Amino acid sequence: MTKNHIVENLRKQIEKWKDDVKAEKVGHVIEVFDGIAKISGLSDIKASEMVSFPNGEAGVTLNLEEDSIGVIILGDFTKIREGDEVKSTGKILSVPVGNAQIGRVLNALGEPIDGKGAIKTEKNSPIEKVAPGVITRLSVSQAVQTGIKAIDALIPIGRGQRELIIGDRQTGKTAIAIDTILNQKGQDMICVYVSIGQKDSKLRKLQTRLEEGGAMDYTIIVSAGSSESAALSYIAPYTGVTIAENFMDQGKDVLIIYDDLSKHAVAYREISLLLRRPPGREAFPGDVFYLHSKLLERACRRNKEYGGGSITALPIVETQSGDVTAYIPTNVISITDGQMFLETDLFYKGIRPAVNVGLSVSRVGSAAQIKAMKKVSGTLKLDLAQFRELEAFSQFGSDLDESTKNQLERGKRAVEVLKQPQYAPMATEDQVVVLYALTKGFMDDIAIDKIKTFEEGLIEYTRRNAKTFYKEVTTEKMWTDAGEAELVKVMGDFKQSFTK
Amino acid sequence: MATISVNNIARAIYESTNEKSGVELEVILKNTVKLLSEKHALGKSKEILNKLQKLIDKNEEVVRAKISSKAEIKKGVVSEIEHFIKKRYKVKNAILEFETDDKFLGGIKIEVGDEIIDMTLKSKINRLKNYLVTN
Repeated sequence: MTKNHIVENLRKQIEKWKDDVKAEKVGHVIEVFDGIAKISGLSDIKASEMVSFPNGEAGVTLNLEEDSIGVIILGDFTKIREGDEVKSTGKILSVPVGNAQIGRVLNALGEPIDGKGAIKTEKNSPIEKVAPGVITRLSVSQAVQTGIKAIDALIPIGRGQRELIIGDRQTGKTAIAIDTILNQKGQDMICVYVSIGQKDSKLRKLQTRLEEGGAMDYTIIVSAGSSESAALSYIAPYTGVTIAENFMDQGKDVLIIYDDLSKHAVAYREISLLLRRPPGREAFPGDVFYLHSKLLERACRRNKEYGGGSITALPIVETQSGDVTAYIPTNVISITDGQMFLETDLFYKGIRPAVNVGLSVSRVGSAAQIKAMKKVSGTLKLDLAQFRELEAFSQFGSDLDESTKNQLERGKRAVEVLKQPQYAPMATEDQVVVLYALTKGFMDDIAIDKIKTFEEGLIEYTRRNAKTFYKEVTTEKMWTDAGEAELVKVMGDFKQSFTK
Repeated sequence: MATISVNNIARAIYESTNEKSGVELEVILKNTVKLLSEKHALGKSKEILNKLQKLIDKNEEVVRAKISSKAEIKKGVVSEIEHFIKKRYKVKNAILEFETDDKFLGGIKIEVGDEIIDMTLKSKINRLKNYLVTN
């Protein structure tokens, strides 16, 4: 482009410009500290409206008081000084949403932070929205396949459900979430991973893992790192769900993971205390329940008349030394439709995923399980509960009757079968085959340390030889007598060659 | 004990002194000062007076505007501005305060309460810059 061209273009643009002077409401910074600013003036401001500071930083109003307003600053607050002029924008805090966001890493304001350039989005959406009402909803009936046997069989998750992942640090909470994302390949699901107050190194590792597994083709990461201000940690989950809602509005199914909500509550506590809101239990403000309930209520499944689509939420909460009766864990447990409880003891015993089957429940997910899975997993939970009880008893004496012994042996094998390495999601049909073999006693005389090899071989062999069974389970979601007979025969054959 | 806000004190003073005059007013004012001193609120007297002024202005339909410009404004323009402010804020009276500032490139800026109507050249250039950047 020549110089003349540029000048010509510029002149055209300037000619097109129409100046409109507007009366602006302005306020002045009274005080600023720790990411919070107190501002005088701005008499007509709304709650959670954006304000702009002279150096371009944005803020959001949280406290509207008689003579002043309390604002959280989204960004660097060190350049803001007392007496600075603050302008209201008239806009409620909103973030850009669009399909181009898939595969990207965004910050809490929806801006890309992965160095892959700007994202073209068409619209902005306010991050605070009222959750869909009763008439727009549909009950959960379609499964989310996590690919993890212990979860898909015992605590199944349905599309539109909210299932809490709870446990101490280092028990594999994030691992379950990541495995679930990895398993959504080809399942027509868009995933949003919201990282709240996590180390950037962890996020980077996770992103690389998702890229390697090809999961970034359908995943968006929203991150508010631990070095960023509490204000960004506070809005990150809302940004995530707003991005997810954009896809739900298009009738798509979305899976959203909040990692983790305890850090979110801590960020909100920090903001609230700085804004001088009265502290309550554990110094959390009074509305910390609402903070999470309004977020998790936005996960739902909509009926056809309202466009279909769903948001499945997997919030993560970290407990301190297994205490689920702390404030935030009990709150989130009561909001969600069930929880999977991970335990340190189980983790170090080598039972991974370290899901405590007794304490974990899924209140609505069983409606989403396919019939074949229901059939094989129906008694598994009860069997495992009985096994744990017997195991405790059997430590006192060795004189056990035959049936008790059998039950113990079966239980040990069940525990072994439910172990699963990380990043190794299993297809539903394979899970059905393995659990069928377990519940029908095909594994009873296999040594415990050989269970894993048996399982692997069995899957490979049946996949090749029990084609009718596989086809039935894949298409009809249940086997017929003919399919079952074929499976039993194939399993018998395999076992014979295995034990030889 | 709940603290009494500056707003409440100003309102109370306004309501108790409204339409009073002579000895009665004097007694009320004396008592007010005594009460404020007892409640250790004399330190806030500046804020209270500010609030009181605002209350009186509001009730008597008066607005105070600060007009800044580079040079002094001509009489004709002043009356135009006064007329504009009266119409915009729907008041009977407008008290104008003028200020000149050498830093201005040109144009004027009107401040009424927390509202600013910025018609300076500088802000116009800024708006043009924003327009060119976004388009």
